[in-house]
Amino acid sequence: MLLHLLVLAPFVAAILMVATSKEDPKSSSRLAFLFGVAFFAMSIALVAGGNQATDPMEWFRIPGCKGPVYYYLYSHGLGAWMVFLSCGLSLVALITARNTFEKNYRNFAIGIFSLMGAMNGTFLSADAVLFFFFFEAMVIPAAVMIAGYGGKERKKAAMTFAIYTLVGSAPMMVSLWYLLTVADNSLLLSFAIALQSLPAETQFVILLSFLLAFLVKTPIFPFHGWQAITYAEAPAPLSAILTGAMSKAGVFGFIAWILPIFPLSMTVVNVMLWLGIATAVYGGLLALRATDAKKLLAYSSMGHLGLAVAGVFSLSEAMLPAVLVLLVAHGISAGVLFYLAGVAERVTGTRDITLMGGLAGKNPVFSTLFGFAAVMALAVPGTAGFVGEFTVLLAIWDMGPLPAVVAGFCLILSAAYMLRFVQKVIFGKPAREYTEGKRMTALEGSTFGIMVALLLTFGFHPAFITNSLHLFDEDAIEEMSKLSGQEGEPEQALPASDSLSGQNSEVSESAEEHHPMTEKEIAQLDSTLAEAGFDESERAALIQQMIAADAAQNGEAAQTNAEATENE
Amino acid sequence: MTNLPLWLIPLFPLVGTVLLGAIAVISSGSKKGPAEGIVGFLAVIFPVLAFASVVLLAWGMPTEGLRQTLCNWIDIPLFKVDIGFLFDGLSRIMLLFVTGIGSLIALYSIGYMHGDRGFARFFAYINLFLFSMIVLVLSDSLLLTFLGWEGVGLCSYLLIGFWNKDLSNCKAANKAFIVNRVGDIGFLLGMLCLVTVGGSEILNYDSLSAFIQMLIAGGHVEIVLPLLSLAGLLFFIGCTGKSAQIPLLTWLPDAMAGPTPVSALIHAATMVTSGVYLLARMGNLFSLLPVVLLIITLIGLATAFWAAVAGLFQNDIKKVLAYSTISQLGYMFMAAGVCAFDASIFHVFTHAFFKAALFLGAGAVIHALAGEQDMRKMGGLLRKTPVTACVMIFAFFAIIGFPGFAGFWSKDLILERLYTSGSLGPIFYGVGLLTAVITAIYMSRLIILTFFGSYRGSKESEEHIHEAPASMLLPMVVLSIGAIFAGYFWADSLGITMFKDSLAPVLSTAQSGVAHVHVNPIIFAGLGTLAALLGMFIALKVYGNARVPAAKGSSAPEGFKADWTFFFDTIHKFCGIIPVAVLAWIVDMVVEKILQAAQWMVGAIAEILGDGVATFQVRKVRLQLALSVAGVAILVAVVLLTGGSI
Repeated sequence: MLLHLLVLAPFVAAILMVATSKEDPKSSSRLAFLFGVAFFAMSIALVAGGNQATDPMEWFRIPGCKGPVYYYLYSHGLGAWMVFLSCGLSLVALITARNTFEKNYRNFAIGIFSLMGAMNGTFLSADAVLFFFFFEAMVIPAAVMIAGYGGKERKKAAMTFAIYTLVGSAPMMVSLWYLLTVADNSLLLSFAIALQSLPAETQFVILLSFLLAFLVKTPIFPFHGWQAITYAEAPAPLSAILTGAMSKAGVFGFIAWILPIFPLSMTVVNVMLWLGIATAVYGGLLALRATDAKKLLAYSSMGHLGLAVAGVFSLSEAMLPAVLVLLVAHGISAGVLFYLAGVAERVTGTRDITLMGGLAGKNPVFSTLFGFAAVMALAVPGTAGFVGEFTVLLAIWDMGPLPAVVAGFCLILSAAYMLRFVQKVIFGKPAREYTEGKRMTALEGSTFGIMVALLLTFGFHPAFITNSLHLFDEDAIEEMSKLSGQEGEPEQALPASDSLSGQNSEVSESAEEHHPMTEKEIAQLDSTLAEAGFDESERAALIQQMIAADAAQNGEAAQTNAEATENE
Repeated sequence: MTNLPLWLIPLFPLVGTVLLGAIAVISSGSKKGPAEGIVGFLAVIFPVLAFASVVLLAWGMPTEGLRQTLCNWIDIPLFKVDIGFLFDGLSRIMLLFVTGIGSLIALYSIGYMHGDRGFARFFAYINLFLFSMIVLVLSDSLLLTFLGWEGVGLCSYLLIGFWNKDLSNCKAANKAFIVNRVGDIGFLLGMLCLVTVGGSEILNYDSLSAFIQMLIAGGHVEIVLPLLSLAGLLFFIGCTGKSAQIPLLTWLPDAMAGPTPVSALIHAATMVTSGVYLLARMGNLFSLLPVVLLIITLIGLATAFWAAVAGLFQNDIKKVLAYSTISQLGYMFMAAGVCAFDASIFHVFTHAFFKAALFLGAGAVIHALAGEQDMRKMGGLLRKTPVTACVMIFAFFAIIGFPGFAGFWSKDLILERLYTSGSLGPIFYGVGLLTAVITAIYMSRLIILTFFGSYRGSKESEEHIHEAPASMLLPMVVLSIGAIFAGYFWADSLGITMFKDSLAPVLSTAQSGVAHVHVNPIIFAGLGTLAALLGMFIALKVYGNARVPAAKGSSAPEGFKADWTFFFDTIHKFCGIIPVAVLAWIVDMVVEKILQAAQWMVGAIAEILGDGVATFQVRKVRLQLALSVAGVAILVAVVLLTGGSI
């Protein structure tokens, strides 16, 4: 019930908002605020409630396809936290927009609610087509709001945003349709099974089309062309939602759809890892030079999400909680920074940071919050960002020290651009004379304060986030295999379900070629054994055995290969 | 009272931070700031309470120390870390002087910051700093130490840029934070490296020692030595950042932009010594890594010498002291590099007193001269501010190692340990002794230019010169007493080894590998004294009667002096800042533009195609564009898919 409410009720709320007056922002803002609080409360209940699912309902059948498309919602820890972000940030956006838009608040609220519904749908769908439907639906309200409420170049920004993201996911649509003709239904499990029977090239093309959609949405270098202009031109409350919640759909897609479905080769994993790291560096470097406050934050977001994607493709066991903490931390801190940048823009009347300055003396409370929020974005220990970035670096270190060192370089970059940002906005003397716009209200201030406090709380007790994480539990797998069983062969489901409920990394490891053990691996093994309490002689013996077995296996593999060629 | 919970110590300044921060934010709207009496009381009482609890705990501490685990912090697969505290011989000494000197300097700051608009904010930062510093030394794991480590860096940033109306202060603050961040990343990667060696639990200091002992016992050191050396080196990079050693030392002289009590507390007595603390804390690990130890000694040696020479050229009184701090930290690293961790901590301890006294004295001078920091405009202050002068002269005797004063004992100990450290020992000792001579020269120069001769400032400013208020003098006097007597906690030649014994339970294993050759301490003491006297004599000859060149607009050194002083700034510029700036420029102006062009080219092609069709359709070019691009993409995907499946 909760799931249905979270996905469908925002659309109902959007329709109800139509009934309020367009001319009277007060009444409409009150209603919107009430709705927003209700949804936020529901999202907290969802996070607290653990994994839950609705009964799958048949939605429609595409002619020529094997199976039906379901309306099937499923909440695991990852999706639930993303819903928390989307509802929470929407609520703050509704609060702060009240002071930004003098009129036509109603339509903005309608847009926010439809966007929220689409985002929740994206994060809660268990059906690939349903997921894709919401994934695309997110773009429309966002683009409309940018075109309606944005800055000077809003038309261009809206068009760029809509076209870029829609084109990016068009191949995914085709792939989905193709997969539907092969798979029993559009659920994750049957996709995973169906893919195994396809030839490798087809698998690869389908993988590429999925990857492209998520790469564009996140965005990852070199598909970030839409991002800076969109975030800069969108009204600040919307930018906060876009970066805090919507861009997470990309990372979410990597974790929840790509990793379980596709057997990834090591090449793909490496390419994605380095793309993520390249994005992190790229975003950091661009942020160093940006003078537009919102563009700077957009590039900073790009950097953080690049790190998150690199973390995802480290495929370490620690990856999932690490990335989730990073995503939640980034969602909140980037969100609050965008809101604050919006307030700064409102007060000073410009987005150009070289024209700001001196706010510390004029608006001390605002500046305190601003400084706090910026420090939180630096991943100083004790904040959620630190827990996320440190554990993600830990996961990346598994892939070798070099990626981790480069990722560490990004942390230095983030300090450099964030401090520059803080200095330009609040320190020094005002760069020019201006008539002061509406200041930060007490309600806004306390909301931002709560967000900052949340970051501190999660920083000292990340267990709130990490404990609620069970990506696919037994029940869900069972439910999915039941649905597959109606049409196809149930026994096929079993091996796949094992790998799904276990760690995702197994999927890739099985596809990996067999290498002889390196010395580093041996050292690592040795230390792991030492942890497990083996003494020296036992360890040496065990390692000897391992090496021997390893060599034998390699020999066998070579032999079988040779035999195979002989037979041919 | 020994069952006092350990978390109480950091809690006090944390409460202080919250209260003072709230006062600062609430009162920020009003014209007049909050009442200074109440704020000052709150600002001092929490550090004092922390100090009191440390004293109580220190009194009844069992030899093996106290350990308390508070709660779980991070718990994910492959990585579990708790929040826990460790109170042993090492953290006891660090805590005693951190909270003690912290309280004194908070008291001093009440007088110094009197009338400043950010009075409450200043003390909120100071309390936050003390909280972070306490966490740094009290934590029982590297990760929690890292929290304090970045926390003190953050407070340093906030306090250097405290007067944020002036952008040059902000720039100095940014520089300090970013240079420190480079070091911090070293620390962070070092932790990751350790985790790969032995899992997340060896981030805990006790487990780390146990792990290393197990390695030694099993003779398995060689297997993991490369990884451990890498980790050690990475940690050392962290230390060079925080403790301003080559190559990450440029931020400390700039950090003098902050209020003087901050320089005394953070950039002389406590924060900058945390690198030395970390080396001592992980002494067990470092004593296994001969290569890293050699690097540490050489870096320490080079830093001590270079900074001492740079200190000769400074005209700004605080800058002299900043370079002197860097140089003294170099001594501490040298000692750590030859596994004399107890001697390095002893020098940290005595240095905290005399350097804090020197800074506070300099602060009182600056206060008396209404903000003048250029020594060329001072002179003859002995008669005008006698108490300040006495305090500074006592501290001066301590820093140059005059017999009987604190620095004499600790510096001699370090030099002695250097000499007996091995085949390279005599060379280390020689450079160390030479540095001691230079130290005596630049410190004598500071004292001569400031307190002797005649006043060189303007006539009207001379009228206003006044001695500091009592709240400032009291801490200075207490610190100067420390500068005289702190050395007697460990005076080998008098047979007092109290300091050494209290550290022994923590550091003895790390230092057991070093052979102790017995040498005649009198010769070392004699040579040390000679170095101090020689330096004083040279300074007296050169600066005693020389005409001081008139001060120009800036107090920065010029010519070859500037080359020497800003040597590492130049290196940073060419090795760090410019490459990143160029890279950023390339990314922004070249790569980004190419990507944009490609993006719009695709768009334009679609538009041209769309235009063709648009003649017999609705004239919505952009829609056409969207549809055509989407169509092309779909077609490509379909072709690829069908091609693949056949």
